[in-house]
Amino acid sequence: MVSHATIHATDNEQACYVMLEISPSKNLPTSRLPLNLCLVLDKSTSMQGIRLQQVKEATRQIIDYLQPEDTLSLVVFSDKAEVLFPGQKNVDKALAKSVASTIQPSGGTEMLQGLLAGLNEIQSNRTDMSVNHIILLTDGRTYGDDDECIKQAEWAGLNQISFSTMGIGADWNEDLLEKMADASGGTSTYIDSPRRIVESFKATVRELSTIVAREVSLALDLAPNVALHEAFQIAPHIRRLEINANNTIALGPLGTNNRKIIVIELRVTHATRGKLKLLQLHVSGDVPTQSAGASAEWQDVSVNVTDEADGEVVIPPVIITALGKLAIYKMQEKAMEDMEAGNVIAATQRLETMATRLLNLGETELARAALLEAGRLARTGSLSSEGRKKIRYGTRNLSILPKEL
Amino acid sequence: MIKCPFCQTPHVDGTLFCSECGTYLLEDDQRGTDPLGTSEIGWVGAPMDDPDTADGYRGTGPLAIRFSIGDHKRVVEIPLNKAIHLGRLDPASDVFPEIDLTNDGGLEKGVSRRHARVLKREGIVVVEDLGSINGTFVNGKRLAPYLPETLNSGDTLQIGRLLIDIELRA
Repeated sequence: MVSHATIHATDNEQACYVMLEISPSKNLPTSRLPLNLCLVLDKSTSMQGIRLQQVKEATRQIIDYLQPEDTLSLVVFSDKAEVLFPGQKNVDKALAKSVASTIQPSGGTEMLQGLLAGLNEIQSNRTDMSVNHIILLTDGRTYGDDDECIKQAEWAGLNQISFSTMGIGADWNEDLLEKMADASGGTSTYIDSPRRIVESFKATVRELSTIVAREVSLALDLAPNVALHEAFQIAPHIRRLEINANNTIALGPLGTNNRKIIVIELRVTHATRGKLKLLQLHVSGDVPTQSAGASAEWQDVSVNVTDEADGEVVIPPVIITALGKLAIYKMQEKAMEDMEAGNVIAATQRLETMATRLLNLGETELARAALLEAGRLARTGSLSSEGRKKIRYGTRNLSILPKEL
Repeated sequence: MIKCPFCQTPHVDGTLFCSECGTYLLEDDQRGTDPLGTSEIGWVGAPMDDPDTADGYRGTGPLAIRFSIGDHKRVVEIPLNKAIHLGRLDPASDVFPEIDLTNDGGLEKGVSRRHARVLKREGIVVVEDLGSINGTFVNGKRLAPYLPETLNSGDTLQIGRLLIDIELRA
């Protein structure tokens, strides 16, 4: 779907938006792919009490959910990592649960160790058909190994392993967890209360069992006078998409209930009258159940170019709604950038403006959080760690769109 | 090139939302509330003993006031049957001004949430600053807070740095 079905014939640069939805074809076999799942859990001292208790409960529920063909492994980490339960099929559920209940809190948080042990388990248990996934849960900051963690996530993304990164409480590093999830094609989640751990784990595993394509990528073949400005994923949640060489975008795994909605902003120069082909979209996916392994689709996107002031421009409301929410997400990004750059006044103003926009959308609670943080920022020059997460994850999830596409 | 009406950032033609402040950039933005003509505004209730009510609608003097707000001369006409508050809408702190200046660049131009009010007293239209941070001015003269000042047709009312032309309608 294109924002402007008609654009003006002009030499000036013009913006044009293309919105597309990617969902699995109805013709694909619906059989569930076997999971190759590894839980990488933080057992540092700060997890003591209700957090760890809920983590154990969540683990038990996931074990119950597994099918005989699924593989599960369990890794805990503090100062060092420990494989509690090596990966195996036909998981002995009683045994796995009793192992999970032995986790004792101790030590600090060194994520990389846990991650490496988890990846190792995943690698030794993967098959051609398996959906490979790591659920990483932490409540603290890891020290000094952030860059290496991101590198591992990038490597995992290239090898069909996706991460769900989850943070509990206020002390973890949202930049790191989000980068890791994005790099691997997974998602990151902010768990504001230990009571939501079970729910988040279950939602993730349910999501995994609907996956039909392990890695979907979008390639854009642009017309000569069209340039790609930026690209965002709108659903399932908003995120900025990394554009690789040759204008390809990696979108991560695709499931039957998680259609992906993407918005691409283009810049058109030298539009001359007539029909203009903007670009060709190529979507390809790694579908293990299909004999060829990969499956691809392509589509042309064109617009009409007319003389200036010729008829009125009607922009589809879905695009306006989506871009409106995206605009708020981008303001959040900019506010954080302003703050990093030490420009407290600009960041405060941006948060305040953002609150107004949120109110217009009826997002009262998020607006209040933004105003609260704006006030805090103006007084103290910094945001609360919790408020920062609330705003980041709140604006990301603004994207729930009406199903009219 | 087009310019954001809110923060003046330039954008490429066809851009839909300002990347700096999130403003919707199509001129005929139909998502806002259209100003209604006075004939269309019915009289709701009879707030005669409301302390905000001055002379009431039937009193002497002008019946309505017309504001032309900001650089874009957004026109709002309101009957003078009760006090008209000017400020920035903020439901979170329970501020609901009759004239919300948020979309006229209110925040940038230093408009307080409760900035000023306009009302009719004994047939004369007055404006009163409500202790705003950046002040209220009539024809360039700053008003002392809470001291009403007469408003006449052709006056320029300044709310923070936002200019509003005043016209009284008999």
